Amino acid sequence: MKCEWVRQNIALYVYGEAADDARHELEQHTSRCADCAAELKAEQEFHALLSQDRAADPTPNLLAASRMRLQEALETAQQGGLLHRLAFDPANWLRQAKFSPALASAILILGFAGGVGTAYKVIPHGPGSGPGSQPVAESSIAGISSITQEPGTNQISIKYNTVSTQQAEGSLNDQKIQQLLLYAARNNYNSGVRMDSVGLLTQNPTDTHFRDALIYALQYDSNPGVRFKALDALGPYVKGDTRVRDSLLQALVNDTNPGVRTEALRMLEPVKADGSVRGVLMTLAAKDSSQYIRSQARTLLAQLPEID
Amino acid sequence: MAGQERRIDDTMLIREAQRGDRAAFEELVRHYDQAVLRLALHLTGSEHDAQDVYQDAFLKAYKNIGSFRFECSFYTWIYRIVTNLCLDHLRKKNVRKEDAPVAKDADGGEYDLLDQVADGRPGANPERDLMRRQLGARISGALQKLTPRERMVFELKHYHGLKLRTVGEILQTTEETAKNTLFRATQKLRGALADMR
Repeated sequence: MKCEWVRQNIALYVYGEAADDARHELEQHTSRCADCAAELKAEQEFHALLSQDRAADPTPNLLAASRMRLQEALETAQQGGLLHRLAFDPANWLRQAKFSPALASAILILGFAGGVGTAYKVIPHGPGSGPGSQPVAESSIAGISSITQEPGTNQISIKYNTVSTQQAEGSLNDQKIQQLLLYAARNNYNSGVRMDSVGLLTQNPTDTHFRDALIYALQYDSNPGVRFKALDALGPYVKGDTRVRDSLLQALVNDTNPGVRTEALRMLEPVKADGSVRGVLMTLAAKDSSQYIRSQARTLLAQLPEID
Repeated sequence: MAGQERRIDDTMLIREAQRGDRAAFEELVRHYDQAVLRLALHLTGSEHDAQDVYQDAFLKAYKNIGSFRFECSFYTWIYRIVTNLCLDHLRKKNVRKEDAPVAKDADGGEYDLLDQVADGRPGANPERDLMRRQLGARISGALQKLTPRERMVFELKHYHGLKLRTVGEILQTTEETAKNTLFRATQKLRGALADMR
């Protein structure tokens, strides 16, 4: 019985998971029982054998690519909203309201305001209300700049800005299309739109304005996917355009995304003999925080005498 | 102490993420994503599948972070999501095993073909590299014979060094059950790799 218990607990003992009393008991027993001592030795040897096989760490490129893909997905993902939380956890909502006077006050004020708003809506409008009472259907409201009420009357004046969606169509050579694409590449808050516009700009990087926009995207876009796309399009011009070369060097040194840095390093290979590139490579080889970048920079430097 | 600081840091980031701050969530992701990817990579044996698990896990966490109630650590919570996704993957893989990139060795044991790719890094020792790959292939074949749950407990204990109490929390079971599962897993592995000792 004792031997059976020991054998069932040997694996836990080897993994340091046996309780103190069990460990003591097991050690006592194996010091007296040759069979169990042999079993313990075999388990320890087996553990040592398995320990030679390590779960490999993901490569920096895989990690960078996974992060990039996740960032893109997060831009369109929605968190479970307030309604969702209220619907699924009303008890918690009540608990929070009970212990949070500020929240309770806010709910009270909202309720009051809602009541007032509803009462206002059901008051029939007089004949003078005119077109101002029509819902704003033709355009969406971009913002409210002021709300005033004439003293002694129920007339309310609201100034609001509107944005209406318009559409432009044309080829990549169309000046208006080019203007909008360049605007989208630099200004749009939606990185999906920036990605699309940069994607189109890459079709004609010989155009100076397009190339400028790509350099801008590589240096300043917050989304690594957009930067990566711009980088790919700029690659072929690294030899002939020093501004492109400088922007790639800047990405290599300063970009926060390891994937973008690695790609920039790869694209700079054809101009590795250039003085500025060589200087950056020497700095990276000596003290970059990424082991991969350090080793790649050293490899490129080592190749220099043979190629140039 | 560092663990305590990390936990406080996580708590702040979680609260900000719950208020809709995506940057805070991304910071939280960076605390754990390397470990998550390593677990998924070893369990699925494929970079593509590991990336899918990684993506699904963190998207699920993002969508549900509003319902995180600090009843366990974020670490346990995210590992619970990842292990559930990996268990689903292992179960599906068991069903469609014929599609897997595996081959049979001389003894009939299966091994992952990807393990046969040579390590081309400078400084690698070819002989040791070959032995390492052969050992890895045999162990990988033996691991595939475990049930998904045994595989998971063994993975978290052996390769990730987690305490069985934590493994139990992650898999929403007791420490005792985790111990029994580890015992069964090691017995099976010893049987499958008996000729290697």
